[in-house]
Amino acid sequence: MNIKSLLKTMTEKVGVSGNEFAASNAAAELLKQYAEDVNVDAFGNVTGFVKSGRADAKTLMLDAHIDQVGYIVTNIDENGFISVGTCGSPDVKTILAQSVTVHGKKDIQGVVSTLPPHVLKSESAPKAEEISIDVGMNKAQVMEIVSLGDFVTVNSAFRELAGNVISAPAVDDRSGVCAILSALDMLKGKKMAYNIAVSFSAQEETGERGATQTAFRIAPDECIAVDVSFGRTPDSSPKETAELGSGVMIGYSPSLDSGMSNSLRALARNKNIAFTEEVMPGSTGTNADAIGVSGAGVKCCTLSFPIRYMHTPVECVDLGDVELTARLICEYALGGADDV
Amino acid sequence: MFDELKTLCELNGTSGDESRVRNYIETHINADKITTDPLGNLLVFKKGRKTPDKKIMFAAHMDEVGFIITDVSENGFLSFGAVGGINPSVVLGRALCVDNKAFGIVGTKAVHQQSKEERGKIPPFDEMYIDVGGNVDISRGSFAYFDTDFFRFGDGFIKGKAIDDRAGCLIMMDMINGEPEYDAWYAFTVQEEIGTRGSKTAAFTIAPDAAIVLETTTACDAAGVSGSKKVCELGKGAVVSYMDKRTIYDRELYSLAFKTAEENGIPVQTKTLVAGGNDSGSIHISRGGVRTCAVSVPCRNLHSPSCVIKESDYFAVKKLAEKMLSAVAEI
Repeated sequence: MNIKSLLKTMTEKVGVSGNEFAASNAAAELLKQYAEDVNVDAFGNVTGFVKSGRADAKTLMLDAHIDQVGYIVTNIDENGFISVGTCGSPDVKTILAQSVTVHGKKDIQGVVSTLPPHVLKSESAPKAEEISIDVGMNKAQVMEIVSLGDFVTVNSAFRELAGNVISAPAVDDRSGVCAILSALDMLKGKKMAYNIAVSFSAQEETGERGATQTAFRIAPDECIAVDVSFGRTPDSSPKETAELGSGVMIGYSPSLDSGMSNSLRALARNKNIAFTEEVMPGSTGTNADAIGVSGAGVKCCTLSFPIRYMHTPVECVDLGDVELTARLICEYALGGADDV
Repeated sequence: MFDELKTLCELNGTSGDESRVRNYIETHINADKITTDPLGNLLVFKKGRKTPDKKIMFAAHMDEVGFIITDVSENGFLSFGAVGGINPSVVLGRALCVDNKAFGIVGTKAVHQQSKEERGKIPPFDEMYIDVGGNVDISRGSFAYFDTDFFRFGDGFIKGKAIDDRAGCLIMMDMINGEPEYDAWYAFTVQEEIGTRGSKTAAFTIAPDAAIVLETTTACDAAGVSGSKKVCELGKGAVVSYMDKRTIYDRELYSLAFKTAEENGIPVQTKTLVAGGNDSGSIHISRGGVRTCAVSVPCRNLHSPSCVIKESDYFAVKKLAEKMLSAVAEI
């Protein structure tokens, strides 16, 4: 499976928290190659199942969120300019003079206004409530196409940088979706230790809401939540970030199952899969937080990989890290952790 | 017009790196005389049906705002500075094209990791970097450009980088390729964005009696802005200036532009604020002085990856430029 083309396909689909269907439907189609009973529910969550064939097999849930951060239309003023609120927490600092798509009755293009020096109040970063989108139409024209509650995404493109690095929108967490699909591809025809339940969950960015539902329905024994983490930049703290290309990040946290964390680490060592430990002192800020306390409780671990510029339209990921994450998931599903 | 403007705007050419734009223009015009001066200005003469008793020069600048690489680190992070007046807030979270061979990203650490103070502040350029992903053969002094989309939207609007001033360049190209009424010179200038430098030598060499500068100018008709602070408005036609930060324009030409517009049914407006500046600044004080007029396309988000103009304004400027050639020739 070519992870690059898979990531391109998945990052070109739009799925802001609250309306993930374009992305969910695309992910469901891809999942059907590997899983049974693939379903997109009313919330936008995708689920599917792969049987191990073993009668006593436990269920391992593999989760990645399908939603991306974005904006939602809150007002259309008398001149047709559109105001928005945030969905999730996009980096609002990066919004001025961006081109955007307003997903109304049809998709329309627009530009976020930026003010020249003579009216710019200060050098401070824009606030969400100050964002104004120019769609080049008067109010009546806008109202024919756009309604309050429609979603807005910042335009961007899939770009290949040097090395193995890709820049694209929604890398958080479509690259996690790709890691899981890639793991399923590696597992094809192999004898697994677990029954696999896949969850591509909606509304992670607004509070892990979709995974709350899928975890309840699946009621797994264990779960690996695959999400992105913080990549190192010149202005970031080395203690809080990992270098792109440093491999899969294995989660350690009081809220995660330390047995799973240790098993995954031992397995990574045994299979020569490059990794770092991601230590999170409280909860994880991922779907693992919600899945862990679902029903009577689920043993959880996070597998992540570092990305730079999280929650901007130009998120950067190293494809090698995505592949190593897929490999570790694959080895775990095969039962490799029992042998180390 | 849209396709031609798109092609012209998507050529990367900041101040000091205008050759791609110049080569394109040079190979797409049918003129009587074309020369490139030592700074890189493209000086063009086109015969008209008649020869006026004075030398008339049109000018539009080829350069756009951009970036220059000031340092290269081993792990693929480049330091850079702005070429021309760019607000740092329109650079964060963008993709750039570096040295016409690599993509680079400008960003900061994740929003989750920023302190409250950091979230509220746009860092200056010397604290930003361009991330090219790894080792790329980029040298100090290389240039970088916004890598952004170019599209038509809404009710006849166009969005893209470098519309300032490729719009003026395209109008001059069309005039040259048309059948102008009078002989005229056309200066496609360099280095306008770093202090109207190219037009200084262009005006010296051409030595015109009168000049008409074709430009884009700041429109601030945005949400929440009212009255004179709008400066000028999209959809209200060509902008003719009486004064900006660099020039007090020739009063007779200013009035002539309005009269010519009215006689020909061309929508025209002026600026309600003394702001900005353009090649007129160096042209009007060239040699013993040049009577100068500026006709501009109103443009939102000037000096950003998302310049926005309205097609009807572009055509108003084009028509007024053509009519002004005759009007100035016949003074």
